[in-house]
Amino acid sequence: MAKSRDLTYSQALNELEKIVAEIESEEVDVDVLAEKIKRASFLIRFCKGKLRTAEDEVKKVLSEMEEGPVEEAAGEEGDGY
Amino acid sequence: MPMEDISSEKKALSLSQLNGLIKAAITDTLPDMYWVTAEIAEIKLNQKGHCYLELVEKEDDTTIAQIKATIWAYEYRAISSKFQKATNEPLARGMKILLLAAVTFHEVYGLSLNIRNIDPTYTIGEMARKKREVIDRLRKEGVIDKNKLLELPLVPQRIAVISSPTAAGYGDFINHLDANPYGYRFVCVLFPALMQGNEAETSVIRALDQMRKKRSDFDLAVIIRGGGSTVDLSCFDSYALAAAVAAFPLPVISGIGHEKDDTVVDIVSHTRMKTPTAVAEFIISGVRAFEETIMGLEARTVNRAEDFLKDEKQRLNSLAQQLALVPYRLKSVHLNRLLLLQKDIRGHLRQIFHARKNRIENLQQAVRHLDPEQVLRRGYSITRHKGKVVKDATSLTSGMMIESTLHKGTVASVVQSEKAGKEGKDHGKKQGPDLLPGLE
Repeated sequence: MAKSRDLTYSQALNELEKIVAEIESEEVDVDVLAEKIKRASFLIRFCKGKLRTAEDEVKKVLSEMEEGPVEEAAGEEGDGY
Repeated sequence: MPMEDISSEKKALSLSQLNGLIKAAITDTLPDMYWVTAEIAEIKLNQKGHCYLELVEKEDDTTIAQIKATIWAYEYRAISSKFQKATNEPLARGMKILLLAAVTFHEVYGLSLNIRNIDPTYTIGEMARKKREVIDRLRKEGVIDKNKLLELPLVPQRIAVISSPTAAGYGDFINHLDANPYGYRFVCVLFPALMQGNEAETSVIRALDQMRKKRSDFDLAVIIRGGGSTVDLSCFDSYALAAAVAAFPLPVISGIGHEKDDTVVDIVSHTRMKTPTAVAEFIISGVRAFEETIMGLEARTVNRAEDFLKDEKQRLNSLAQQLALVPYRLKSVHLNRLLLLQKDIRGHLRQIFHARKNRIENLQQAVRHLDPEQVLRRGYSITRHKGKVVKDATSLTSGMMIESTLHKGTVASVVQSEKAGKEGKDHGKKQGPDLLPGLE
């Protein structure tokens, strides 16, 4: 199982869809069912949380962008604005 | 030289005389006003409000005709505002116009056209034709649908924005995203660009290039402008910019903010929205769609979990009910067993008593056989000598008085002789088994 840090929306959605299909199949063992429901609820919380925090994303993008604007500014000066 | 001859003969005209002749000739030959099509090669306003233009005609990029033109301040205002209203563009370099002009010749400034009117419908047609050409070219090159074929991201949360940082539309966009009612967080990074004027085309293309380098950080690109003037969208009809948008590796959402026909950038972008606010709304709805999918799966999971709990509860209940019955059932089972045991025990006891009784009866019978009375009755006798029982004949000698007790009565006799030996012993032994019948 992927850790939340590495988990993407599409991985989470795919896994969740798989789990729901499994637990609705009626063939699932009781102990397994409890485990699956636990995992499903983790994935749901993960997705809903990520939609509303995005803290990591902000930090990542901003740290990467720190070099960006400098290059950009230098480029514009070079173009003789 | 003939020229020297002429000047010496004093037949020469002054320059002003010559220009006067030219002016007269032009006025005579070209007295009317003429509708002329031409391309604006240069255009500028001076401080007095007069407009000076350089008009050209080109054939395959080569100028084949050129003339100066003026629009006097007195008429410029009306002509330009009518033009702008009709075309959504101000008069600008590169435009083809249909103008009504008088040919004038000024002794100092020379030949020029005095523009009295401009028919914007011609320019609109020209612009549409040019736009069609750009679209046809993009189609022929197979790029026109390229951006549309990109899949929209599952969750559009990291947005790369091309806009002018000071544009009202950019503020609207950011505010609308931030104020979404679901509390979603978005990451927006601005790639600033000029959104109008002659520099806009290259500026936006450069911003797209910057964005392309960071594309893995973003889910979606948006190009927005708006607020301020709604004119001068010609850069969004340019081939170079449209091609860059079409080939962009992320889906591009356009919100260029105009009500009229779509620009070519609108046509090639993945999704065209009218305003920056509408773009923000589109993005929010994309995230909402994802969350609704998640919520659907959540509902199904919860249903399943509830069903599961209900089933388990029912199972537990029925087990509990069964358990509650166990004591009763156990009791009845045990009672039955006790009754059976009781019956068994009674039977056994009866058998035991019966056997005992038999044995006692046998013993009683055996004891009865041993009674001396009974023995005497069967014909045995007891011999005594001086009151003592005689068991050995050798203890007797002739002439001894002995007394024999029979079943009935006693006999006194005198010993004549005695015979000792085996017979007596054997006799004694023989009596044993006879005496104890049934005592086995």
